[in-house]
Amino acid sequence: MRNRQDDAALVAGLVRGDETAFRTLYARHTPAMIRVACAILGDRASAEDVTHDTWIAVLSKIDGFEGRSSLAGWIFTILVNNARSRVRREARSISFDAGGAEDGLAAAFDGRGRWKQMPELWEEITPERIVAGRRLADHLLAAIDALPPMQRAVIVLRVQQDLDPAETCRILGISDGNLRVLLHRARLALRNRLADLL
Amino acid sequence: MLSCKDVAARASALIDRELSMREALQMRLHLIMCRGCRHFVRQVRLTDRLVARVANADQPPDPGPEKLLAILRDKRPPGR
Ligand SMILES: [Zn+2]
Repeated sequence: MRNRQDDAALVAGLVRGDETAFRTLYARHTPAMIRVACAILGDRASAEDVTHDTWIAVLSKIDGFEGRSSLAGWIFTILVNNARSRVRREARSISFDAGGAEDGLAAAFDGRGRWKQMPELWEEITPERIVAGRRLADHLLAAIDALPPMQRAVIVLRVQQDLDPAETCRILGISDGNLRVLLHRARLALRNRLADLL
Repeated sequence: MLSCKDVAARASALIDRELSMREALQMRLHLIMCRGCRHFVRQVRLTDRLVARVANADQPPDPGPEKLLAILRDKRPPGR
Protein backbone atom coordinates (compact mmCIF):
# COMPACT_ATOMS: atom_id res chain seq x y z
CA MET A 1 0.00 0.00 0.00
CA ARG A 2 1.21 3.45 -0.78
CA ASN A 3 2.06 5.38 2.29
CA ARG A 4 0.34 8.38 3.69
CA GLN A 5 3.49 10.50 3.48
CA ASP A 6 3.48 10.13 -0.28
CA ASP A 7 -0.21 11.09 -0.24
CA ALA A 8 0.47 14.15 1.86
CA ALA A 9 3.18 15.38 -0.51
CA LEU A 10 0.92 14.92 -3.53
CA VAL A 11 -2.01 16.63 -1.82
CA ALA A 12 0.19 19.56 -0.84
CA GLY A 13 1.38 19.71 -4.46
CA LEU A 14 -2.16 19.81 -5.83
CA VAL A 15 -3.23 22.45 -3.32
CA ARG A 16 -0.51 24.79 -4.52
CA GLY A 17 -1.16 23.97 -8.16
CA ASP A 18 1.96 21.92 -8.81
CA GLU A 19 1.90 20.37 -12.27
CA THR A 20 4.32 17.52 -11.54
CA ALA A 21 2.23 16.30 -8.62
CA PHE A 22 -0.86 16.38 -10.81
CA ARG A 23 0.76 14.58 -13.73
CA THR A 24 2.05 11.88 -11.37
CA LEU A 25 -1.41 11.27 -9.97
CA TYR A 26 -3.06 11.48 -13.35
CA ALA A 27 -0.77 8.85 -14.87
CA ARG A 28 -1.08 6.62 -11.82
CA HIS A 29 -4.86 6.51 -11.61
CA THR A 30 -6.51 7.50 -14.87
CA PRO A 31 -6.43 4.16 -16.76
CA ALA A 32 -7.74 2.41 -13.65
CA MET A 33 -10.43 5.06 -13.15
CA ILE A 34 -11.64 4.55 -16.71
CA ARG A 35 -11.74 0.76 -16.17
CA VAL A 36 -13.75 1.06 -12.98
CA ALA A 37 -16.12 3.64 -14.49
CA CYS A 38 -16.50 1.45 -17.55
CA ALA A 39 -17.40 -1.49 -15.32
CA ILE A 40 -20.23 0.56 -13.85
CA LEU A 41 -21.40 2.39 -16.98
CA GLY A 42 -20.77 -0.21 -19.63
CA ASP A 43 -19.26 2.08 -22.23
CA ARG A 44 -15.89 3.63 -22.69
CA ALA A 45 -16.92 7.12 -23.85
CA SER A 46 -19.11 7.70 -20.79
CA ALA A 47 -16.37 6.25 -18.60
CA GLU A 48 -13.86 8.78 -19.96
CA ASP A 49 -16.36 11.58 -19.37
CA VAL A 50 -16.97 10.57 -15.80
CA THR A 51 -13.24 10.22 -15.21
CA HIS A 52 -12.62 13.71 -16.54
CA ASP A 53 -15.40 15.12 -14.33
CA THR A 54 -13.90 13.28 -11.39
CA TRP A 55 -10.54 14.95 -11.91
CA ILE A 56 -12.27 18.33 -12.01
CA ALA A 57 -13.95 17.47 -8.71
CA VAL A 58 -10.66 16.26 -7.24
CA LEU A 59 -8.92 19.51 -8.17
CA SER A 60 -11.69 21.68 -6.80
CA LYS A 61 -12.15 19.72 -3.56
CA ILE A 62 -8.53 18.88 -2.80
CA ASP A 63 -8.21 21.68 -0.23
CA GLY A 64 -10.80 19.85 1.85
CA PHE A 65 -9.10 16.45 1.69
CA GLU A 66 -8.55 15.38 5.28
CA GLY A 67 -6.63 12.16 4.84
CA ARG A 68 -9.23 9.99 6.54
CA SER A 69 -8.98 7.62 3.61
CA SER A 70 -6.02 7.21 1.29
CA LEU A 71 -5.82 9.73 -1.53
CA ALA A 72 -6.52 6.98 -4.07
CA GLY A 73 -9.48 5.79 -2.00
CA TRP A 74 -10.86 9.32 -1.92
CA ILE A 75 -10.47 9.74 -5.69
CA PHE A 76 -12.15 6.40 -6.42
CA THR A 77 -14.99 7.21 -4.03
CA ILE A 78 -15.73 10.36 -6.06
CA LEU A 79 -15.40 8.39 -9.29
CA VAL A 80 -17.78 5.60 -8.29
CA ASN A 81 -20.33 8.09 -6.93
CA ASN A 82 -20.16 10.07 -10.17
CA ALA A 83 -20.55 6.96 -12.28
CA ARG A 84 -23.46 5.67 -10.22
CA SER A 85 -25.32 8.96 -10.28
CA ARG A 86 -24.91 9.03 -14.03
CA VAL A 87 -26.37 5.55 -14.24
CA ARG A 88 -29.35 6.78 -12.24
CA ARG A 89 -29.69 10.03 -14.16
CA GLU A 90 -29.73 8.31 -17.51
CA ALA A 91 -31.89 5.51 -16.13
CA ARG A 92 -29.43 3.00 -17.45
CA SER A 93 -29.92 -0.49 -16.26
CA ILE A 94 -26.55 -2.04 -15.67
CA SER A 95 -26.34 -5.43 -14.09
CA PHE A 96 -23.60 -5.11 -11.55
CA ASP A 97 -23.71 -8.67 -10.33
CA ALA A 98 -20.80 -10.93 -9.56
CA GLY A 99 -20.82 -12.85 -12.82
CA GLY A 100 -18.65 -15.82 -13.65
CA ALA A 101 -20.35 -18.39 -11.45
CA GLU A 102 -17.27 -20.55 -11.06
CA ASP A 103 -13.54 -20.37 -11.23
CA GLY A 104 -12.91 -21.98 -14.62
CA LEU A 105 -10.99 -24.85 -13.07
CA ALA A 106 -13.79 -27.42 -12.98
CA ALA A 107 -12.15 -29.53 -15.69
CA ALA A 108 -8.67 -29.24 -14.22
CA PHE A 109 -9.11 -31.90 -11.53
CA ASP A 110 -9.80 -35.63 -11.48
CA GLY A 111 -12.52 -37.24 -9.38
CA ARG A 112 -10.33 -37.08 -6.29
CA GLY A 113 -9.54 -33.41 -6.71
CA ARG A 114 -6.01 -33.88 -8.02
CA TRP A 115 -4.53 -31.98 -10.95
CA LYS A 116 -5.11 -33.88 -14.20
CA GLN A 117 -2.26 -31.95 -15.67
CA MET A 118 0.22 -30.38 -13.34
CA PRO A 119 0.49 -26.58 -13.50
CA GLU A 120 3.81 -25.56 -14.92
CA LEU A 121 6.38 -23.28 -13.47
CA TRP A 122 6.23 -20.02 -15.40
CA GLU A 123 9.94 -19.64 -14.97
CA GLU A 124 10.66 -17.68 -18.08
CA ILE A 125 8.08 -15.07 -17.18
CA THR A 126 8.90 -12.01 -15.16
CA PRO A 127 6.86 -8.81 -14.97
CA GLU A 128 9.77 -6.89 -16.48
CA ARG A 129 9.92 -9.11 -19.55
CA ILE A 130 6.17 -9.23 -19.98
CA VAL A 131 5.85 -5.51 -20.18
CA ALA A 132 8.80 -5.30 -22.53
CA GLY A 133 6.95 -7.71 -24.82
CA ARG A 134 3.78 -5.70 -25.38
CA ARG A 135 1.86 -8.60 -26.81
CA LEU A 136 1.23 -10.41 -23.56
CA ALA A 137 0.55 -7.14 -21.76
CA ASP A 138 -2.09 -6.31 -24.35
CA HIS A 139 -3.67 -9.73 -23.92
CA LEU A 140 -3.71 -9.33 -20.17
CA LEU A 141 -5.34 -5.89 -20.40
CA ALA A 142 -7.92 -7.34 -22.79
CA ALA A 143 -8.54 -10.18 -20.33
CA ILE A 144 -9.08 -7.66 -17.52
CA ASP A 145 -11.53 -5.75 -19.70
CA ALA A 146 -13.37 -8.99 -20.47
CA LEU A 147 -14.01 -9.81 -16.79
CA PRO A 148 -17.55 -9.42 -15.43
CA PRO A 149 -17.96 -5.80 -14.21
CA MET A 150 -17.63 -6.34 -10.47
CA GLN A 151 -14.62 -8.64 -10.83
CA ARG A 152 -13.01 -6.01 -13.02
CA ALA A 153 -13.67 -3.25 -10.49
CA VAL A 154 -12.30 -5.37 -7.65
CA ILE A 155 -9.10 -6.49 -9.39
CA VAL A 156 -8.37 -2.94 -10.51
CA LEU A 157 -8.86 -1.42 -7.06
CA ARG A 158 -7.25 -4.18 -4.98
CA VAL A 159 -4.43 -5.40 -7.22
CA GLN A 160 -3.67 -2.59 -9.67
CA GLN A 161 -4.32 0.32 -7.35
CA ASP A 162 -3.35 -1.48 -4.17
CA LEU A 163 -6.24 -0.16 -2.09
CA ASP A 164 -6.81 -2.00 1.16
CA PRO A 165 -9.76 -4.43 1.42
CA ALA A 166 -11.90 -2.27 3.73
CA GLU A 167 -11.54 0.75 1.46
CA THR A 168 -12.37 -1.31 -1.63
CA CYS A 169 -15.53 -2.67 0.02
CA ARG A 170 -16.62 0.81 1.08
CA ILE A 171 -16.06 2.34 -2.37
CA LEU A 172 -17.93 -0.41 -4.20
CA GLY A 173 -20.54 -0.94 -1.50
CA ILE A 174 -19.90 -4.67 -1.16
CA SER A 175 -19.29 -6.97 1.80
CA ASP A 176 -15.93 -8.39 2.74
CA GLY A 177 -17.08 -11.89 1.80
CA ASN A 178 -18.23 -10.64 -1.57
CA LEU A 179 -14.89 -8.95 -2.14
CA ARG A 180 -13.00 -12.18 -1.48
CA VAL A 181 -15.12 -14.20 -3.90
CA LEU A 182 -14.86 -11.57 -6.63
CA LEU A 183 -11.13 -11.18 -6.20
CA HIS A 184 -10.54 -14.92 -6.25
CA ARG A 185 -12.59 -15.40 -9.42
CA ALA A 186 -10.89 -12.48 -11.14
CA ARG A 187 -7.43 -13.76 -10.25
CA LEU A 188 -8.19 -17.26 -11.46
CA ALA A 189 -9.80 -16.05 -14.68
CA LEU A 190 -6.67 -14.01 -15.45
CA ARG A 191 -4.37 -16.84 -14.38
CA ASN A 192 -6.26 -19.23 -16.66
CA ARG A 193 -6.00 -16.78 -19.54
CA LEU A 194 -2.26 -16.46 -19.01
CA ALA A 195 -1.93 -20.25 -18.81
CA ASP A 196 -3.60 -20.44 -22.24
CA LEU A 197 -1.23 -17.87 -23.66
CA LEU A 198 2.01 -19.19 -22.26
CA MET B 1 -6.15 -33.64 3.96
CA LEU B 2 -6.74 -31.00 1.31
CA SER B 3 -7.00 -31.97 -2.34
CA CYS B 4 -5.40 -29.93 -5.12
CA LYS B 5 -8.86 -28.60 -5.89
CA ASP B 6 -9.21 -27.39 -2.29
CA VAL B 7 -5.83 -25.71 -2.52
CA ALA B 8 -6.78 -23.92 -5.75
CA ALA B 9 -10.00 -22.72 -4.11
CA ARG B 10 -7.99 -21.21 -1.23
CA ALA B 11 -5.14 -19.76 -3.28
CA SER B 12 -6.47 -16.23 -3.05
CA ALA B 13 -7.07 -16.47 0.69
CA LEU B 14 -3.53 -17.77 1.12
CA ILE B 15 -2.08 -14.86 -0.84
CA ASP B 16 -4.16 -12.36 1.13
CA ARG B 17 -3.28 -14.06 4.44
CA GLU B 18 -6.89 -14.66 5.27
CA LEU B 19 -6.65 -18.33 6.24
CA SER B 20 -7.08 -19.48 9.81
CA MET B 21 -3.99 -20.95 11.49
CA ARG B 22 -5.34 -24.42 10.97
CA GLU B 23 -6.13 -23.88 7.30
CA ALA B 24 -2.79 -22.22 6.69
CA LEU B 25 -1.06 -25.23 8.21
CA GLN B 26 -3.06 -27.65 6.07
CA MET B 27 -2.13 -25.62 3.02
CA ARG B 28 1.52 -25.62 3.91
CA LEU B 29 1.53 -29.39 4.36
CA HIS B 30 -0.07 -29.91 0.97
CA LEU B 31 2.27 -27.46 -0.72
CA ILE B 32 5.32 -29.20 0.71
CA MET B 33 4.22 -32.42 -0.94
CA CYS B 34 2.64 -31.17 -4.18
CA ARG B 35 4.66 -29.48 -6.86
CA GLY B 36 1.60 -28.79 -9.03
CA CYS B 37 0.00 -26.73 -6.30
CA ARG B 38 3.23 -24.91 -5.54
CA HIS B 39 3.38 -23.92 -9.18
CA PHE B 40 -0.27 -22.93 -9.19
CA VAL B 41 0.06 -20.63 -6.19
CA ARG B 42 3.12 -19.03 -7.75
CA GLN B 43 1.22 -18.53 -10.98
CA VAL B 44 -1.55 -16.71 -9.13
CA ARG B 45 0.97 -14.52 -7.29
CA LEU B 46 2.70 -13.75 -10.57
CA THR B 47 -0.67 -12.93 -12.13
CA ASP B 48 -1.13 -10.26 -9.44
CA ARG B 49 2.28 -8.77 -10.15
CA LEU B 50 1.61 -8.74 -13.88
CA VAL B 51 -1.77 -7.08 -13.39
CA ALA B 52 -0.11 -4.38 -11.30
CA ARG B 53 2.59 -3.90 -13.94
CA VAL B 54 0.43 -3.69 -17.02
CA ALA B 55 -1.71 -1.08 -15.31
CA ASN B 56 1.28 1.21 -15.19
CA ALA B 57 2.11 0.55 -18.81
CA ASP B 58 -1.42 1.48 -19.87
CA GLN B 59 -1.75 4.81 -21.65
CA PRO B 60 -4.03 7.56 -20.29
CA PRO B 61 -6.61 8.66 -22.86
CA ASP B 62 -6.92 11.65 -25.09
CA PRO B 63 -7.34 14.52 -24.40
CA GLY B 64 -5.15 13.68 -21.44
CA PRO B 65 -4.51 16.06 -18.60
CA GLU B 66 -4.12 19.22 -20.68
CA LYS B 67 -7.64 20.56 -20.14
CA LEU B 68 -7.30 19.94 -16.44
CA LEU B 69 -4.05 21.84 -16.14
CA ALA B 70 -5.86 25.15 -16.62
CA ILE B 71 -7.91 24.44 -13.51
CA LEU B 72 -4.75 23.56 -11.67
CA ARG B 73 -3.04 26.78 -12.70
CA ASP B 74 -5.94 28.78 -11.27
CA LYS B 75 -5.11 27.31 -7.91
CA ARG B 76 -1.70 28.90 -7.81
CA PRO B 77 -1.34 32.01 -5.68
CA PRO B 78 -1.33 35.17 -7.82
CA GLY B 79 2.01 36.60 -8.85
CA ARG B 80 3.71 33.26 -9.64
ZN1 LIG C 1 -1.82 -30.37 -5.00
